[in-house]
Amino acid sequence: MIKVLQKYRRTGWSLQKIGVITFLLISSLTICAQQKKIVVKGRVLDDKTNEAIIGAAIKIRGLEKEIQIGTVSDVNGNFSIDVKSFPVTLSISYLGYQGQEFDIYEYTVPVTLYLSQNLNSLNEVVVVGYGTQKRKELTGSISSIPDNLLKQPVLSFDQLIGGAVPGLVVNQNSGQPGASSTVRIRGGNSINGGNEPLYVIDGFIVYNDNSNSKTSEAKTNLVSNADANLNLLSTINPSDIESVEVLKDASATAVYGTRGANGVIIITTKKGKKGSNNVSYQSTFGWSEIAKKPNLLNGQQWWSLYKTIVPQSDWKDPSKDGFDPTKTFDWVGAALRKGLTQDHQISISGGDAKSRYAVSGNYTSQDGILKNTGYERYSFRANLEKDVYKNFRFGINAIGSHSKQNTLGSLSNDNVVNTWVSLLRSSPVVPIYNADGTFNYNNPFSVNAQENALADLLTTTSETKVNRVLGNFFAEYKILPSLTAKVNLGTDLLGSDQNYFAPANSGGGRQTNGYATKGSKTVDSWQSEFTLNYDKTFDNIHHVGALLGYTFQRSDMEYSEAISTNFLNETTTYNSLQSGSASTPYSGAQTDVLISYLGRINYTLLDRYNLTTTLRADGSSRFGSNNHWGYFPSLGLSWNANDEKFLKGYKDLSNLKLRISAGSTGNQEIPAYLYESTLEPQTYSYGGTVVTGYASTITKYNPDLKWERTAQYDAGFDLGLWKDRLTLTFDAYYKKTSDLLLLLPVQAATGYENTYSNIGAVSNKGVELGLNVQVIKSKDFNWSSVLTWSSNKNEVLNLGGLDQIQPEFPAAGALSTVYPTIVKPGLPLGTFYGYQFAGVVQKGDDLTKIAAPSWITGYTAQPGDPKFVDQNGDGKITPEDKVILGNAQPKFTLGFNNSFTYKKFDLSFYIAVSYGNKLYNALENKLELVNRTYNSSAILANSWTTTNASTTVPRAYEASTFNMDSRYIEDASYLKLKNLSIGYTFPFRVKGVDNKSSLRIFATAQNLLTLTKYSGFDPESSRVGNSSYEQSPLYQGVDYGAYPSSKTFLLGLNINL
Amino acid sequence: MKKILIIILAGFVFSITSCTDQLNQYPAGELSIDNYYKTESDAITAVDGIYAILVHSTKNTPLYGDQILYLNDLASDYMITGSNSNSPETRAISTDSYDASNFEVQCTWEQIYKGISRANISIDKIPNVEGSQTLKSRLINEAKFLRALLYFNAVQFWGDVPLIEHTEYSADKLNRAPVDSVYSFIIKDLKDAQNLPATQTDPGRATSGAATALLSRVYLVHSSLPSANVTDDLNNAVKYASNVISGGQYQLFSNFYDAFDPAKKNGKEHIFSAQYSVGQESGWAGNATAHCVWSTYFNGQTPVLIVSDTTLFYKSYAVGDQRREGSYAKQLYNPSTNSVYVFEIPRFRKYIDTTNVLAWYSSAINTDIIRYADVYFTLAESLNELGGPDNVYNGISAYNALNEIRRRAFREGKYSINSNNPSPNSHDLSGLSKDQFREILQKERYFEFVTEQTRWFDLVRWKKLVQSIKLIPAKSSVSIRNYRFPIPDSERKLNPTGLWQNYGYTGSTITTSPYDVTYK
Repeated sequence: MIKVLQKYRRTGWSLQKIGVITFLLISSLTICAQQKKIVVKGRVLDDKTNEAIIGAAIKIRGLEKEIQIGTVSDVNGNFSIDVKSFPVTLSISYLGYQGQEFDIYEYTVPVTLYLSQNLNSLNEVVVVGYGTQKRKELTGSISSIPDNLLKQPVLSFDQLIGGAVPGLVVNQNSGQPGASSTVRIRGGNSINGGNEPLYVIDGFIVYNDNSNSKTSEAKTNLVSNADANLNLLSTINPSDIESVEVLKDASATAVYGTRGANGVIIITTKKGKKGSNNVSYQSTFGWSEIAKKPNLLNGQQWWSLYKTIVPQSDWKDPSKDGFDPTKTFDWVGAALRKGLTQDHQISISGGDAKSRYAVSGNYTSQDGILKNTGYERYSFRANLEKDVYKNFRFGINAIGSHSKQNTLGSLSNDNVVNTWVSLLRSSPVVPIYNADGTFNYNNPFSVNAQENALADLLTTTSETKVNRVLGNFFAEYKILPSLTAKVNLGTDLLGSDQNYFAPANSGGGRQTNGYATKGSKTVDSWQSEFTLNYDKTFDNIHHVGALLGYTFQRSDMEYSEAISTNFLNETTTYNSLQSGSASTPYSGAQTDVLISYLGRINYTLLDRYNLTTTLRADGSSRFGSNNHWGYFPSLGLSWNANDEKFLKGYKDLSNLKLRISAGSTGNQEIPAYLYESTLEPQTYSYGGTVVTGYASTITKYNPDLKWERTAQYDAGFDLGLWKDRLTLTFDAYYKKTSDLLLLLPVQAATGYENTYSNIGAVSNKGVELGLNVQVIKSKDFNWSSVLTWSSNKNEVLNLGGLDQIQPEFPAAGALSTVYPTIVKPGLPLGTFYGYQFAGVVQKGDDLTKIAAPSWITGYTAQPGDPKFVDQNGDGKITPEDKVILGNAQPKFTLGFNNSFTYKKFDLSFYIAVSYGNKLYNALENKLELVNRTYNSSAILANSWTTTNASTTVPRAYEASTFNMDSRYIEDASYLKLKNLSIGYTFPFRVKGVDNKSSLRIFATAQNLLTLTKYSGFDPESSRVGNSSYEQSPLYQGVDYGAYPSSKTFLLGLNINL
Repeated sequence: MKKILIIILAGFVFSITSCTDQLNQYPAGELSIDNYYKTESDAITAVDGIYAILVHSTKNTPLYGDQILYLNDLASDYMITGSNSNSPETRAISTDSYDASNFEVQCTWEQIYKGISRANISIDKIPNVEGSQTLKSRLINEAKFLRALLYFNAVQFWGDVPLIEHTEYSADKLNRAPVDSVYSFIIKDLKDAQNLPATQTDPGRATSGAATALLSRVYLVHSSLPSANVTDDLNNAVKYASNVISGGQYQLFSNFYDAFDPAKKNGKEHIFSAQYSVGQESGWAGNATAHCVWSTYFNGQTPVLIVSDTTLFYKSYAVGDQRREGSYAKQLYNPSTNSVYVFEIPRFRKYIDTTNVLAWYSSAINTDIIRYADVYFTLAESLNELGGPDNVYNGISAYNALNEIRRRAFREGKYSINSNNPSPNSHDLSGLSKDQFREILQKERYFEFVTEQTRWFDLVRWKKLVQSIKLIPAKSSVSIRNYRFPIPDSERKLNPTGLWQNYGYTGSTITTSPYDVTYK
């Protein structure tokens, strides 16, 4: 091992050289045959804790079935065994661990063998809030993400966990590399607050607010113009993650108090192991391509549509205006590419008797399938731990990363909301390039003088760069063998920079003769945590665990942003804002403080009856002085019924546990300072001299403002059959979130228009099922399968007296006029609201009976017109005729995860299903609005004419009013083959290295197959046009020009030494 | 090892004891009511923020740049919506068919109370500001003047209205308070505001003259209420109007047009105006009323606001009365065609910046709130009501006061074009009965104050609202209920009993008309 390390040092760390070393290592494989009788010495350790395993049975497996010789590991895990010849296979087994076999080819130094705990075993230790607990003693609902999914080569770990455990729904909003996803555990609780779960990364608590990567003020879309936020979860290298636990019910989450209501995801990074040194290197290469091609009019179809809707006198002339109606110029095709992906990981870990270490480095880059977009990350991690004394240890965990994302530019044009939509809508008869190969800026159909969507894509820069350091230091002191004090000091330093530059001849810079912005934001969080842990068993009957803690967390956010326009010279782009005319810069700051006291008692009687009770008191600066403090209790009970005498007789039954829990958690993810009345500048003039005064904003302060509170009840059982070859977990829950934050109108006599109040209520109820089966378990062939199914029903119960809320879609172009969604008591969040399409007026219909749309002045019906259902029968189509058109929330979701091994081959696939969810295809809505300027959906080739009496596609006429109707609320149920992976492992050993070494080569396909009726690019898409609202519960289920999703093919190799 | 334990415990105790006060966080990047109102500059900008309500709006047009004009002039007899009015809300005001859900009524209510709230905060917070007592008193009195002005509008439009006197108040204060308590409050504020300096360094700030002039008008209006002690009120109106005149600070412009010349804003006749300047506001770059009277430019279309009946109003001026051409433009020079364009229906002229007609959106003409001419009218009306046209106070009779107005209108006497050779005062009134004088004064008020936010208030005070408006066929739906505006539905939804509805509107529980037979 040391030799290998030295070799690295001499040669430097270049990746090519590592490849060369790999080759050398493989070729140096030696298989020796010796006849001497030799004593093989070694040590058996737990692969997670590195603790010695005492009493493990070590046997030599001969060619025949019977075991020839055997021994047992001693108190230090050491053993010695006589071996007659090499190679030899040692078979190790120990209760609660998976039996393992190790091949030994030659023997020079003592070997270290690792056993993994049997995952299905009840002795498995589960990470819970502020500690660990035996699964057998759990009362709460906690699920772990399966190992094989965590090992997949993805950019960000949230990409593959949706449906991997019951009750966890993840929506991949966009195909942009590094784009954010929305993550929901057991449905959304809040209307105006956050719904994302809380993340705990090595003990550091993070609310993943992706708008922290957006440097402009949340209220405006002024700066950045990036079409999507950078997903801050992607700043963590997924390969550094050892385990992910999902905490769902109140018994598990109430210990996080005012931040526990949306569920908690605990991430533990990889740590070093005692007694061995491990080097691993992984490299993947691959490419992505568009998953689904758009369906647009071709040149001839478009020109024919143009001639139908435009009076002949206004027709453009191909010979004069520089276009060719006989051709189709593929704007989208010219912008797409095979996006290359590469990823390199190196990690070194190990430890001796008193210290453990794990360090890793990663470089990953993923080109987007659209040119000039992509994502790149450098990251490192260092975890160190040292036992200073028998009863004192300390450690440090640190993750550092630099991520850079290039996105589409967002445009403030109602018809082309970003550069992607601009490409889709470019007229197909207009050439992309001039004869000399330069961009053709002459689009005669455009309302602008110069326009070329491809040039926009290539010349506009929209980048987000995030530097993040997430780390903690801890020290642990055992005051008594049963009592441990721990200090944990951590920090999360996040710095974002956003640069944007749109040249004068691009969509983003045309109106201002060039547009450049620079923004920066820092969010620095500090956390200190002091805990006392007590753990003792009395008389082998009572097991008591207790936790007492105090934590303090402070987060300071600052941002600044500057805009410049009218550049005389564009060479310096955003790097020289002073070269243009700069407008007023913005800056702002915000501080959050959370002070908490927490306590938990776990009590287990006779290994069978478990009780967990927690209480947390949180003091939060988010709320007014009257309500700083909140108290969050929980109680969970469970019963390991299979250990009762009356069930002992059922040998097939290996586990039956009944669980019940109740508790209260909070949600403080509301905008800061809402309890305060802020002032805004207002100008006045005295005799022509302008002065600035200050006056209150329209929102009245509310010092009583507090957190949203969720009461959650959960009942479930865990069933294990045939030594846990089949395990089943079932949960039913009911959550009621009250004191929801709503913006309510107040009497004008107060001087304000509205105020935030804790008054609304939302409920979620659902059932979850997880089934884990080792279908086949044999020496050569193994097949294990995990199936999860969950169904959640969401309902808005109370809006504090408001009949309904129709969320405004701010800065979202056409969406701001249609109000496609409604929040109303009795209905779930994400309900669509609009007109019911009733087909097309046909010849012979009684035209006097066609209800006139109120948005067309002087409407007279004619054949080919679209018809809408006149719900109230008043002969007009007015907003009163809008009805509920469906819902964005799925009826159920399903995850099906399989892994197979056959000898040295492994194969796994993961299927995700969502059923019953609808999506508003706003892009299609816009693409079907007939227009002489832009390209349209291919559907319009089938428009109603007297000879083609279409019943669904109205006649072609130039419409200007954008309205939403039932045609565009589409069934977005889907089945996706999210991941398919196949690999082959070559075991080998390196001279002088005692570890199990291996080389695995693998091929992976992601997002290979999607079965859906949804006509847009991806049934998971979501885009409303203002990246500040990406994660907001009010704006889900609308697909307006999201970056198209891709399928990815990867080849990789992994070397473990 | 003990060391370690001690360090851990010390750190623990330290962090617990030092952190709790950090729970009180205030926005660092924004001003809030907790970190503001500390310095003289804060006090000044807070009061500037009250003034701003006169010309700013968060969701509709400004108070003194359309809203009050809509409820006042557009809802009265002489003004109507033109062909270019695309808002059903405005048209409902024009035809007096509005109901309690009318957006214009709602916005006016909201704007007025926003201003009152700003004034309340300033009045309560400025005493604690560090700084000169003189400055603080002045600012507080300016705030009181503005608060009185806003309440005076509210009480005239709606009658009983919520009377919020401070930043903090009990919930029952959000209910309607009796008219008389509102008037007492207005009078108290204005009497304090009389302590303001007579002139201010910043032109456009409230002065003692403005407070006194407004006070006289308040007493005159109050005298028409059923609860009024008519003689006391009129005596007060006479006294304060006379104080303004005898103070000698103000004068009528010789030329009526000058009162609306952007170059002569805050001149000798202007007692208090809503201040406009080019580019002061992002939405409207100037006075929004200019848009409503002039948005159609030079063509046959009519803008949002237009005269309802040219015979009754435009043509009713006597020959030589310069107020007709000062109030209406029958023709205007069009610089883009270099010709004079003659309108079929004359345009309201006072807000059109004739020096830059093509840029209506940047009209910097102030909206007059109190013009010196109004003081003469108040004096004349009050004196006549007390004792007829010959009634004299402090050397000025009702005749004298009204004749002053008429002399300027016809440019006679000291208002003559050639002051060396003044024209005879041939238009002076004399020999009239009290009723005849009242009749003429009422017409004169119309001639004088076209588009100056006073017509509806006048018709209500004179109790001849319905009979006057009924003359216009398009406004025939006017009825006795229109003596008050409805309390906006949006407000009543939040407080249905405390904000009981006025007579004649949906939701009102008043079944018999509260207006006696004298209301015509």
